[in-house]
Amino acid sequence: MKTKLILIAFFISGINLLQAQDSTQAQIQSIKDEIAIIKKPVQTHFMLRGFTQFGFDASDENINFNMTSFNPVLLWRHGDRFLIEAELEMEYMSNQFEINLGYANASYIVTKGLVVRAGKFLIPFGTFGERFHPSWVNKFASQPLGFGHDGIAPSGDLGIEVRGGFQLGSSKLNYSLYAVNGPRIKDGTEEPEEAGMLMFKNETENNNNKAIGTRIGILPLSNSSLEIGLSAYYAAPGSSHSPFEGDPLNEDLNYENVTAMLTAVDLSYVKIISPLMGIIDIKGQYSLSNISNAVYYNPEDTSRYTFTNESSAYYVQMAYRPALAENQILKNFEIAGRYSAYTTPVGSLWADNKSQITVGLNYWLSWRTVIKANYQINESSMSGGHGMSTMTGGNGSMFQLHIAAGF
Amino acid sequence: MKKLNYILGIIFSVFISVIALQSCTTSKAVITGKSGAQLWGENCVRCHNSPSPVDFTDEEWKTIGLHMQVRANLTKEETEKIIEFLSSAN
Repeated sequence: MKTKLILIAFFISGINLLQAQDSTQAQIQSIKDEIAIIKKPVQTHFMLRGFTQFGFDASDENINFNMTSFNPVLLWRHGDRFLIEAELEMEYMSNQFEINLGYANASYIVTKGLVVRAGKFLIPFGTFGERFHPSWVNKFASQPLGFGHDGIAPSGDLGIEVRGGFQLGSSKLNYSLYAVNGPRIKDGTEEPEEAGMLMFKNETENNNNKAIGTRIGILPLSNSSLEIGLSAYYAAPGSSHSPFEGDPLNEDLNYENVTAMLTAVDLSYVKIISPLMGIIDIKGQYSLSNISNAVYYNPEDTSRYTFTNESSAYYVQMAYRPALAENQILKNFEIAGRYSAYTTPVGSLWADNKSQITVGLNYWLSWRTVIKANYQINESSMSGGHGMSTMTGGNGSMFQLHIAAGF
Repeated sequence: MKKLNYILGIIFSVFISVIALQSCTTSKAVITGKSGAQLWGENCVRCHNSPSPVDFTDEEWKTIGLHMQVRANLTKEETEKIIEFLSSAN
């Protein structure tokens, strides 16, 4: 009897012990699960980056301290496929501090070589506007002629885009195809001297048409040093309504059937040349704008006029930095030269033939901070006129000393 | 205009010829066998100076890498290898 009681006690103790072990293991597993959740890789990440440039400009007209850009860039990533990017453009223009939205869009990597992007994005018309415009990337303190305000090339717009890059044998191919709101044509009712010009800053559409465009870039060399790109952009920039509605003399003027075809060729060659102990950087872009003919009204002499609405702009630039030099100071210097030209339609009130030569000496304080000393000579066939200054391409020369930084 | 079209035609022809030659002479294995460091050196410098790995953390490099994949049309393989290199060297 006594033995039976002892066996029963052992049995009960054994069961209790097993239950206690199960409970402990469950607790350990629960803790492990909690740790796993805590240690799970972060799916989202936010960054604030950007760039700035400031300095002074000395021209024949005046000497100015200037802040040409302060552009915060916001990046938000979810996982490894989804990205939101936005850039604010802050600058002083004509004595006014302006804030503009450079871009704000969402990108999703659908699969290898296919990205879908929607929102306001930089238009890949050539490469300067999309890739080289940040002040710490641009080798010069100014933009080449034909870009920016009243330029030939579209900069940013609202729409949707598919793009990507992939290997093609030993070469690489990249592409972009997009539809955006597109420009509107200046009909002369607000700025008669600019009638016939395209206005790319056009957040509110004036018609049901969308501009479509594409860029195809090929990097034929296996070391990616050379890229050649071809761009095309088509738009119908007119409204179905006459801008002179209510004016019996001019309400027959209508720009609904006006079309604009823009094309560009761009080239980039960047290579470390060992015998030269440095990096050679050559870039260029040729842009052509062809807008169908239309009749415009000149309120100054109440006449009507038309012209062949063709404009072209190009730039070529070259830079050399002795990055492989042993001297720590010498290797941070860079010399650069650029020639650009911009021709607007003969017969228009904004007809001009501008050219610009810029030479520069840069000193790199870090990979993204540079001091730029530029000397720029501008020539223009139009003396004075709207928006003409040494900064925007009027006659005269200018010295610029700027510091640009990416952050 | 005719002259311009002629020049563009020549550029395009040279361009296609160079692509054809290159595609025939270099094996794909050479391309896919490139290290992250080599791709970092070849691709970043196309627009700007090659970045210093120590300037950002691993998470930041992932975000910047994705940004550059979209902006500069980098291939997926290039982006992954460059991020891996920068994260290992920071």
